[in-house]
Amino acid sequence: MSNPYRILGLGLCLVGAIFAPVSYFILNSVPLTAVGISAIMIGFTSIALANTRPYISPEACQLILKTGMENTAALLEELGLRNKAIYLPSAMRDGHPQALVPLTDGEDIQWVKTKIPGRLIVRYGANPGDMAISVTTPGSMNIDLLETKPGPTSGEIEAAATYILTGVLDIADSVTVSQVGARLEVEVSGARLYYEDIWYYRCLGSPVASIVAAVSSEALGKPVRISEESYSKGKSRITLEVLP
Amino acid sequence: MRIYNKYIVSLILASGLINISLAFLGQNDLVIYFIINVIAYLVITLLYAYLNPRARRALNTISIVLLAGFLVLVSLKAMRIVTGR
Repeated sequence: MSNPYRILGLGLCLVGAIFAPVSYFILNSVPLTAVGISAIMIGFTSIALANTRPYISPEACQLILKTGMENTAALLEELGLRNKAIYLPSAMRDGHPQALVPLTDGEDIQWVKTKIPGRLIVRYGANPGDMAISVTTPGSMNIDLLETKPGPTSGEIEAAATYILTGVLDIADSVTVSQVGARLEVEVSGARLYYEDIWYYRCLGSPVASIVAAVSSEALGKPVRISEESYSKGKSRITLEVLP
Repeated sequence: MRIYNKYIVSLILASGLINISLAFLGQNDLVIYFIINVIAYLVITLLYAYLNPRARRALNTISIVLLAGFLVLVSLKAMRIVTGR
């Protein structure tokens, strides 16, 4: 009963149900009757929305997210990894998108021909030193929320990222994506989980950037790296580098 | 839940604006008020295409009920015009 949408909905339905007949039969006012009918319509909508709210509170969700991030951050700090993560599409993994944090810094990556196994420490390249830590990020988990796999155009990536960030998770107001060569410039307005200068974010990016990177990687079918991320005046600017 | 708030505020503003405008125009037919309110509701609901799947399913159910009411009223109006009564 503490759900504010249910309280609003029941209130509007009750007021509308009393107000509409009183206006029509006693006051003989059609416009006031219409106001009562509108209140009932919006009331039912509000009750319907109340039933679609998540079962867990936002505080509990934040707690779970922070716990996962703290554990991954502890692992990265213990190993002294500072390289930026590479987000892989599900086609390069065993059906589940993940991020790789390379143990060594190498610009030219010769990807292995086979799928990268679902283990913690994996070999991703042909060179002996091409080893990485494979981690699941907030972005990896959110791919399952998409009803269909997005296409490779910037418009389709934008639509998929907007659907997840704005519609499903409600952690941003809007997303714009533009493609410049092998780079994707993403601007997220009203992001509620923005970038902070901490170890975890330097490696894997903020949760918003992680989701955008995972969506882009899945859409393009190619590995993607978050090369830059900044936050100013309520906007997150994320630059993604599409790897060959 | 900001997107839900925006959606409900949009519905309240639209219905308020429609009812006030029709009252100022001297409209006295309740069916006209209902039809225009339903059209506005359906348009605004369509514009919020990014709502999560569970919310979309719930809103689709309400939209179908309102659309059925809208079609019945429009059919009755059309029949009245055709038969001249």
